[in-house]
Amino acid sequence: MSTIAPMLLEDTKLEPKAGGFYRHQNFLTGLIVGILSGFIGWVVSLALLQGSNFGSDMVVTVTLTCWVIGFNAGMGTFNAIFRWILGHDQNHEDELYAAGVGQGWKRYWKYCTDHKVVGTQYLVLVMVLFGVGGTLAMMIRTQLLSPNSRFMSPETYNAIVSIHGMIMIIATIIMVSGPFANFIMPIMIGAKDMAFPRLNAMSFWVVVSAVPPILGSFFLGGVPAGWTTYAPLSVQAPPAMDAFAITICTFVISVTVAGINTLVTVLTMRAKGMTMGRLPIFVWGSIIAGGLGLYAMPAFLMAQSALITDRVVGTGFYVAEQGGTGWLYENTFWIMGHPEVYVILIPPVGALIEIASTFARKPVFGYKVMVAGISGIATLSIMVWAHHMFTTGWAPTLADPFMLTTELISIPTGIIFLCMVGTIWRGSIWTRLPMYFLYLFIFNFIIGGITGIYLSDVPADQYFHGNMFVTAHFHYTLLGGGLVGAMGAVCYWFPKVTSRMLNERIGKTAFWVVAIGIQITYMAQFYEGFQGMARRVANYNALFVDANRVSSAGAYILMAGMLIFMYAIIHSWRHGKKASANPWHAKSLEWMTLTPVPLENFLVDPVVTGHPYGYGEPDSKPVAPEMPVPVSANSGGSH
Amino acid sequence: MSITDQQMHDSHDDHGHHGHYEEGGNHHDTAQEKHRKEHMATWLFIFGDVVFFLLELFFWFYLRANNTAGMWRAANCTPANGKLGPTDEGLNTCTDGLFNPITHAIPKANPVYTIIVFALIAIAAAFVWFAEVQSRKGATKKTTHPLTALALFFVLAAIAAQFYQFQVLPFTTIQGTYASTFEFYMGSNVAHFLLALVIVTGLWSRSRLGKFDNGKWYQLHLSRLFLVWVAASCVILGLVTIFFA
Repeated sequence: MSTIAPMLLEDTKLEPKAGGFYRHQNFLTGLIVGILSGFIGWVVSLALLQGSNFGSDMVVTVTLTCWVIGFNAGMGTFNAIFRWILGHDQNHEDELYAAGVGQGWKRYWKYCTDHKVVGTQYLVLVMVLFGVGGTLAMMIRTQLLSPNSRFMSPETYNAIVSIHGMIMIIATIIMVSGPFANFIMPIMIGAKDMAFPRLNAMSFWVVVSAVPPILGSFFLGGVPAGWTTYAPLSVQAPPAMDAFAITICTFVISVTVAGINTLVTVLTMRAKGMTMGRLPIFVWGSIIAGGLGLYAMPAFLMAQSALITDRVVGTGFYVAEQGGTGWLYENTFWIMGHPEVYVILIPPVGALIEIASTFARKPVFGYKVMVAGISGIATLSIMVWAHHMFTTGWAPTLADPFMLTTELISIPTGIIFLCMVGTIWRGSIWTRLPMYFLYLFIFNFIIGGITGIYLSDVPADQYFHGNMFVTAHFHYTLLGGGLVGAMGAVCYWFPKVTSRMLNERIGKTAFWVVAIGIQITYMAQFYEGFQGMARRVANYNALFVDANRVSSAGAYILMAGMLIFMYAIIHSWRHGKKASANPWHAKSLEWMTLTPVPLENFLVDPVVTGHPYGYGEPDSKPVAPEMPVPVSANSGGSH
Repeated sequence: MSITDQQMHDSHDDHGHHGHYEEGGNHHDTAQEKHRKEHMATWLFIFGDVVFFLLELFFWFYLRANNTAGMWRAANCTPANGKLGPTDEGLNTCTDGLFNPITHAIPKANPVYTIIVFALIAIAAAFVWFAEVQSRKGATKKTTHPLTALALFFVLAAIAAQFYQFQVLPFTTIQGTYASTFEFYMGSNVAHFLLALVIVTGLWSRSRLGKFDNGKWYQLHLSRLFLVWVAASCVILGLVTIFFA
């Protein structure tokens, strides 16, 4: 093993004043300034606006906007902007401080610019969001245990359904692109960090500031309009709707910034020899999803900002009597909504391809075709939005074209499946935990995908659209496909992120419980759909009771599986076996650096000379070539 | 994938130190590398903004074409009965967002103010562009500072003019979708102008410190790209409001 002089920046001694104002800022100051700003905004707006038309909505909007701005000011989001304006650019030491040098675990509570810290922060946030969204899901299923349940009122039920939906959408959008496109992707391409480290930290903390408003909506009358918040229901909703819309607008800023950062990082910061044709599929997935998000998120912003103005200053975009129309909202929402499905799904699919190649010890089958397939899905996804509106009466003459484009998506999807299966076909399968999730993804996503074809068909959609069939379909797709893929990604990259091995015994237990729970929960919902049970109802006909009880039982099993998985993560993070640099003997770059990963990722700049999936090639070694390590090999690391 | 011994050759940047996080950037970036990244990011940001802008246009033309309940500009509302017409008795009552009857067509906004607003922001963009050109020629702060100061002045003037237009509009947001969309466009302009204000204030402040001297023009260039887009979008929105009301 070759040795080189210690070069770990974690060892750098910084000047006492390095970092400037950042030294005084952390999550606590963010909370304090955010709450204080929100309070001042509330007092001022209450005094000036409460008596006016739309007063309550104005007060809520001003208060929560002040919270978002205040929290981010307290965290340090705007520091660099002010320093740039004043001409006081940050020096080398300031930047090292911002990257968390010498701060230990405290860096995770600060505006830290190290992409690995941001990725880890995202991982924790995603777990928290899934915890909240999952708890709300359990409340929904508990309500549906009996036809006339009084577990909660219909109004509360509606509010919980809405917030469960949107929290899960937010969580699934960031579940892979947050933790792994931040932590892993720059290492995969041989970069030292993201292109814009400060914007990277900003994208995380802005999401954090978006969470309290949506949770606070429960205390503002609840959102009764479902996660899609169709107008005019959303225009007529209580002030909780303002909180919901502010969350979305804030979230859009985060995703847009993150998408730009991802694209620029990959396009400009690849290591020598890392041509576009050598990019790992996960990286392709990240940039395509980032680009798609860049297209989709402005539509989300437009839909929600027009909703805010309808509620707060009385515009009439979605109000028929003022000349508006709910169809405008629906169009704008779904122009975002369908691409967003692929913003969610493409990164986990990319991660699963990495898993397939690594554990089958085979190159990716049809690399270029797969990239074309992912690009094809992304392109087609922007041409299909109106299939969500087949039953709304909007532009019936466009139903056929939209049916066609929607069904066309099955072609690139099928290609990706073919490549995925082709990658593991006749491979020397090493069945470790990540592979379990690959198999489950394939099983679930076939069901989710095929049932999607039914929904793209106009006559069938007339029957299925408003019922539980749709609920089962998109849960099979987003949970059974996307979330399961994300769980596989967690298992795969856990050793690199945490420096410890995930406990496979607990992990496999979680896997089987989750796998069984998914099938029971959503197969029962398909059955309910075939019977004709409407979705989004708090009470239902006794005809559907058996299927609902089965579904609820499945949901509890599923939740138990998720809790076991979360326990596996937390337990392994604290007590797991120490991971080597490349426990899977994989060939992509992230496995060729030290674990824990140094601040700049590589002790020396990598030069890439081959494909990331060179398994079975005569001149390709199954393990990484020797990596130079510092003289004090165990002295550094970012964790 | 493998890493060769070549990886050893350039672990340090050309500046001779381990400069992961250097002034204003990171990763051993040269000025050209930083420019390339920021240039690409600026265009991507503008791309996202263009999507939003196209949706704004979609709102205008969709609502105008639909003219739901005759309430684009309430053209058919009459003082006599407040209805769309005699055959619509009892239907499509013209009211504003507070259920007050509307008894006349909503007048168009005065285009003069619209033109003033987009002219001011276009002038501001032009001054930033001129500052960039001068900086590329090697000009010092003696040239760039006054130009950015003028740009700042015109951005402030555009904001003031936009707010003034809010005050003098012959309608309010609640009076039909023409009024709603018009004011939404103005709000969109204000958001753009405020962002431009932050940027141009920075340019003014930094040019005062000589940050754009010696050919360091790339921040002026990036700012110019964004400001030109802001001006262009403002002009297009303005023309739409004038010619397609």
